[in-house]
Amino acid sequence: SSTRGHMSSEIHPLGVRPSGNALTSLREDVERRVRTKEQGLGALAALGDTLLLRVLESCAPRTLAALAQTSKAMRAFATHADVWKAAVLETFGGRFRYDASWFGTFATAAERERRRDGDDVHASKRAKAEPAMARPRTSVSAEIYSDALHQRYMCASMELEAEWLEVSTVPEETSGELSVRDFVAKYEAPNVPVVIRGAAKDWRATQTWTRESLVEKFGDVDFVVGGYDMKLDDFFTLDACEDDVPLYLFDPNFGEKVPELVSDYDVPEYFAKDDLFSLMGADRPHYRWLIVGAARSGSSFHKDPNATSAWNAVITGRKKWVMFPPHVNPPGVHPSEDGAHVAAPLSLVEWFSNFYQYAYDGDVKPLECICEPGDILFVPSGWWHMALNLEECVAITQNFVSKANLRKVIAVLDTKCEALLSGLDKSRRGSLGELFNEALKSSPDDEVQSILTEYQSKKAAKAKPSALGDAFAAGASFSFSFV
Amino acid sequence: RTHTHTHTRKHNTHKHTVAPHAMANTITLRSSDDETFEVEEEVAFLSETIRSIIEDTENDAAVPLPNVSAKILSKVIEFSKFQVKAKKENESEAKIKEFNNEFVKVDQATLFEIILAANYLNMKGLLDLTCMTVANMMKGKTPEEIRKTFNIKNDFTAEEEEEVRKENQWAFD
Repeated sequence: SSTRGHMSSEIHPLGVRPSGNALTSLREDVERRVRTKEQGLGALAALGDTLLLRVLESCAPRTLAALAQTSKAMRAFATHADVWKAAVLETFGGRFRYDASWFGTFATAAERERRRDGDDVHASKRAKAEPAMARPRTSVSAEIYSDALHQRYMCASMELEAEWLEVSTVPEETSGELSVRDFVAKYEAPNVPVVIRGAAKDWRATQTWTRESLVEKFGDVDFVVGGYDMKLDDFFTLDACEDDVPLYLFDPNFGEKVPELVSDYDVPEYFAKDDLFSLMGADRPHYRWLIVGAARSGSSFHKDPNATSAWNAVITGRKKWVMFPPHVNPPGVHPSEDGAHVAAPLSLVEWFSNFYQYAYDGDVKPLECICEPGDILFVPSGWWHMALNLEECVAITQNFVSKANLRKVIAVLDTKCEALLSGLDKSRRGSLGELFNEALKSSPDDEVQSILTEYQSKKAAKAKPSALGDAFAAGASFSFSFV
Repeated sequence: RTHTHTHTRKHNTHKHTVAPHAMANTITLRSSDDETFEVEEEVAFLSETIRSIIEDTENDAAVPLPNVSAKILSKVIEFSKFQVKAKKENESEAKIKEFNNEFVKVDQATLFEIILAANYLNMKGLLDLTCMTVANMMKGKTPEEIRKTFNIKNDFTAEEEEEVRKENQWAFD
């Protein structure tokens, strides 16, 4: 068996290589690898790698553990990171600490659970004797070709190219030099993005939040990570995890859970002036998120729900943005006809590798920028946007309805299309439009009233209401789910 | 009226009983080995692939399925027909399960071919069923038993085998 040193230049922990390598390798090496795979998978080779992985996704952990012992090739499939990541999340939710690999993480979490269930004698004895048992041993390699297995490790370890980070074309303003009136005139009304440098620099959050301080105060608090509740302290064990699509802390209830975090920042006047969903009081849909992610994490292309606009403030770290206007589909991104579903690569690095080169082919160019701590980006209603964390990043984002996008929001809510609406449980989404329109009536602002009346009379005048209303740009869509 | 093809011998004995202008709600499918099957639209549409092809083409031409042999296509159609019928007649979960269990009692090679076809035809229900069937063939078996089931060659040295056994011991305690 090969030594650890030999493995260190390999991308895949067991030495699996992409099939392209066969073109430049010695024939006998290629033949050996092909044979290892054929004989090691047996009849299951007929399925092909992707379907074999699909079968394994239906297998219980114990079955996977048995499969991993059958042959070197099968072990590569049976220890594949994605299979165990899914098993960890399905079995333990967010109740785990990352341990060397997803396979190792599962083993450790399973043993911890057994210990807790009192079945602990063997587990603790073994843990003492051989602490690193859970890791796949790189000394037993799997010398085969498999793109299906290799791909995610490649995406996970790929370096970002400098040229992906060079372009800075989002209009810039300096906080303190931009009046609210100019913000509305230059950006909000024409629905154009802007990055306001330093708009958040005086926040207590920006000045005092560090990973250490957050863990010290809130390490034991559950935050929403990939849809699961996970303690902040446990979340940071994911540092050691190399994922192509890292788990992302994206919590819509952080303000309710930890009010003191909210008191560490002030919503800038540009956005606070009219936050019309606030008229709904406690009935308002989700509107503010705490976002924490490792380098390489982020959100793939989407449009924000309910036709709202958003602002995103970087507290720590650095965030790269690529944005396209509402009517232009980013390359590699395919919304369904009604806009409710979006097909796109989940891995941001994969998008950059495969599609960024086409981003400048069309007549309409994207806008890009990098936000530093203290910067706030305005994401106008309907704009496609993608965010990539260049290093560990803590950010706060809020979505809002202002007079500038009010017409669009009313129209979208009117479609009652569950998939286009968000921030409420599904059973309430149909009535969101009605609740909102009711709430609007209580606004003292004449302009708000006239917009509402105008929409309702237009609607009554039409023989058949159009699905998305005239005001809403074509191609409305969003996908707001994170692994 | 749909026409079922039964593949009993090497010679094809199926006949076209439907006139060239097919009825609005039947679709003709052509297997890789050039046999045709007339199927009701709602049965054929369990395949998302077939649905997209039909929705994208104007004429009534047969849908070619170059990746699916007649033998396997028969099985897929058998499955699809039952599912559609079961839904219409509000068949019990138990009866559906019974059919599914019998349906997957085929030799290994055929099962794998059905998986490939279900994937190509984009039929989630059939794919889930058949993948789970394979998973069940592995369940509860020792590594050696799994090897025998799928003709897997053990290429670990004795030393490696022991390392890998220890690495997975946690799952069997």
